[in-house]
Amino acid sequence: MTERQMISLTVNGQVHEVAVEPRRLLSDVLRDDLGLTGTHVGCEHGVCGACTILIDDQPARSCLTYAVQMEGHEVTTIEAIGRDGLSPFQQAMHEEHGLQCGFCTPGIIMTFEAYLRDNPNPDEAEIRDVLSGNLCRCTGYQPIVAAVLKAAARQREERQ
Amino acid sequence: MSQAGPFHYIGKPLLRKEDRRLLTGHGRYVDDIVVPGALHACFVRSPHAHARIINIDTAAAREMPGVVAIVTGRDMEQWTTKLRLAPPIEGLEPVEFTALPIDKVRFHGDPVACVVAADRYAAEDAMERIEVEYEVLPAIATLEAALAPDAVKVDDDLSSNLVSHQTFSGGDPAGRARDAHRIVEASFYLHRHTHVPMETRGCAAIWDEGREHLTMLTGNQAPHPLRSQLASRLKLSESQITVNTADVGGAFGQKITLYREELTVAALARELKRPVRWREDRSENLMAASHARENLCKTRAAVDKNGRILSLELELVEDFGGYCFYPANYMSRVVAMILTGPYKIADYAFDVKIALTNKCGNGPMRAPMAITSWVMDGTIEAVARELGLDSVAVRRANLLQPDDLPYRMATGELLEDVTPAETLEMVVDAIGYDDFRARQAEARQQGKYLGLGLCVVIESTTYGSGFYKAAGIPGSGHEAAWVRIEPSGAVNAAVGLGATGQGYETSLAHAVAEGLGVDPTQVRLHIGNTDIAPYGMGSRGGRGGTAGGGALYLCAQKARAQVLAIAAHRLGMNSGAELRMLDGRVQRLIGNDWGDAGLSLVDIARQAYLDPTSLPDGIDPGLDFSLTFDPPPMTYSNSTHACEIEIDVKTGALQILRYVVAEDCGTVLNPHVVRGQQQGAVAMGLSGSLLEQVVYDANGQNLTATFADYLVATACEVPEIEILHNNTPNRRTPGGMKGMAEGGVMGSIGAISNAVNDALAPFGVVADRQPLSPQYLHGLLRSARTSS
Repeated sequence: MTERQMISLTVNGQVHEVAVEPRRLLSDVLRDDLGLTGTHVGCEHGVCGACTILIDDQPARSCLTYAVQMEGHEVTTIEAIGRDGLSPFQQAMHEEHGLQCGFCTPGIIMTFEAYLRDNPNPDEAEIRDVLSGNLCRCTGYQPIVAAVLKAAARQREERQ
Repeated sequence: MSQAGPFHYIGKPLLRKEDRRLLTGHGRYVDDIVVPGALHACFVRSPHAHARIINIDTAAAREMPGVVAIVTGRDMEQWTTKLRLAPPIEGLEPVEFTALPIDKVRFHGDPVACVVAADRYAAEDAMERIEVEYEVLPAIATLEAALAPDAVKVDDDLSSNLVSHQTFSGGDPAGRARDAHRIVEASFYLHRHTHVPMETRGCAAIWDEGREHLTMLTGNQAPHPLRSQLASRLKLSESQITVNTADVGGAFGQKITLYREELTVAALARELKRPVRWREDRSENLMAASHARENLCKTRAAVDKNGRILSLELELVEDFGGYCFYPANYMSRVVAMILTGPYKIADYAFDVKIALTNKCGNGPMRAPMAITSWVMDGTIEAVARELGLDSVAVRRANLLQPDDLPYRMATGELLEDVTPAETLEMVVDAIGYDDFRARQAEARQQGKYLGLGLCVVIESTTYGSGFYKAAGIPGSGHEAAWVRIEPSGAVNAAVGLGATGQGYETSLAHAVAEGLGVDPTQVRLHIGNTDIAPYGMGSRGGRGGTAGGGALYLCAQKARAQVLAIAAHRLGMNSGAELRMLDGRVQRLIGNDWGDAGLSLVDIARQAYLDPTSLPDGIDPGLDFSLTFDPPPMTYSNSTHACEIEIDVKTGALQILRYVVAEDCGTVLNPHVVRGQQQGAVAMGLSGSLLEQVVYDANGQNLTATFADYLVATACEVPEIEILHNNTPNRRTPGGMKGMAEGGVMGSIGAISNAVNDALAPFGVVADRQPLSPQYLHGLLRSARTSS
């Protein structure tokens, strides 16, 4: 378990060669080895969703993933979102006061960047269902739901 | 929610300054900060609730790769002082304990040793190899067991597990009870909670051997008091420690005191002369950080035939857990002090007992007095139930009316500028109370059980030094601020609070902006570094806006007065009385109109720093201001909550159909921030009432140390929360701020319970405990069917 092995990890379009123990969590590699600390670790057992990232464009828990599993896959983290100005969902979160302490926020952004890409016209019940995979202790969720609806509406306008 | 009033900047809906960094993954929570060469600490915790430590064998663990040190309570004893809590409060036993336990453990999760290794993986590997030999003792796992006559003692130094006992009687409750139409008794049990900040506890300690200086990176609500505690426990001076909190992922009361783990990490950094860091995992956080609540309240109300409460008696017992990181009466005392809240009850008595048990120690959690409004409005409901009256009518018969204010409660607490009667009528109107009763009756015909619960809240928000003095607690409620206008005209400001998500960098910028006369976007707040911010009492209760915002507002006014005095001199005027500043420009009153005076804050700043000999007599160079501010003994906000629910009587499942709050928190600094706090508080209260529960078994084993067992509400359980605003400024605070952010917890706990009992009324059962889980409600319904 403690023998390190070299792996090739593609994160936010960049390829990194890192030596990791097979048991090393992807979340730890992202944060400690690659310095991408925007991905937060809130429970280490897959419930809170703070560590949500995209693996091949699909949301996943980086605390339930070993880094060695990621060879041949593309990982996207919060650091790739809003690099050239806030994304529509980030902007809507700002406008709707969808974050307070901000610890859960990167996980929520990653969840809904993927969701809004695939679901341009969500209703509130669907949004709440998807959001139930991310715990937020500050906001009561209502402004986050409003932000998803707002971002979806803006994206629809832009696509027309 | 924009408010009429004398303000230019206070109350404007500025979007948060904090957001950009947090939305893009550039926040700096403790674990995000790179500390070169840092070792990682990990704690060995007791698997038993109550046991003597016979031996700790660390030999095998020390041989593990990467291990640098392993320490126990014996080692820590050499490097640290004991925590002694002995405030001179009648009925409160003094307590004292070491940094880590030496002789015995008092709860499942108590730390007994600390491993320091090259990384967390190595530390955890070594932890597995440490053998601790225990002699298991009987566990005190309930209040009843704690207070039984021959109970085993949790703290061997005390005379019993009753660590605190206070009584009070005002007026003549017994006499009023003798003359009463009826005595109504009610009972309320609020279960054990824990705070669950999304960021668990953690810290990094850096010891500078050359300068003999400790830098403590941590997430904390009260950085300066934390520094004082660290200095005292490490036998250092307060000038040898810097506490620095950057971004903090929530706290809710869990990040105030100095924890034993943090003290251990700091001591180890000094002893090893290497940086040491620690991040607790979620199971440690749920099991061993801090717990809250678990109190049982019984009320006895003497009433007349119209439901008017003639006198009220409260018996409160709290399960405080195994250690007192706070004086044991700290939370429950406030419950007892403010229980009568919005109601006119002159004759009142309380009896408050706090017991130690073999559980994680209690601490204040968002609304330390959370149970208060449920107990009071639940008592109102019980009165209405027993007398066959409408509960809104009983509230109206007892509520303080505008003419009754200012009103001094039986306990001496002063209420003024509160609007309980108004907020009650606002929600009664909004929810359509009379229509609801018709809908409810119709639904029952169809086998659907709707319930409506109301709860009127008086929320103690800002505790001034006068309150501490009156309560006999050493301490202060003051706050400190500085405002500096730099040579360029840039405005920096600092205050001694600790930000944990409240949006201070934005909301407090409004207070500075208003006092000085610049746009809030031009003000930069510096919070959380004890070398930069002045010594303040930190964030707790609802004091941030009132004490912190108030101090900043006054300090900025002081700055403006000097800026305008300099401007007046330049303009050849005798004083600044006919000048003001707006958006960083000096304006002059000509006739009835304000016109630009041709000077800006930038001009004045340049003069103050670069041409001080031209300043008027009596004005010193620079623009550097500071002050401290002590708020009134107590400020109060108020609200009324209304919650409409449906219970599926086959399964006990509860669904919230509508939630409305009318809240009066005085002057609002920033409407987004205030609404966020209001909704967040209601969500936290509902989550606790419906889902959360720390469960210990009969042996004191914690059964809820994962998020699969300790359930926190998701977006599917928290309803939309409608907020109605009624902003009555407090006449005694700068700007009229009152403070808020905890009342939502108080009100929701009461409103949801009252709604459940309204729905269950046809079955003749009363839910007097929380959480209101389907299992519990189903059990109540089954007992009703069995007995009928």
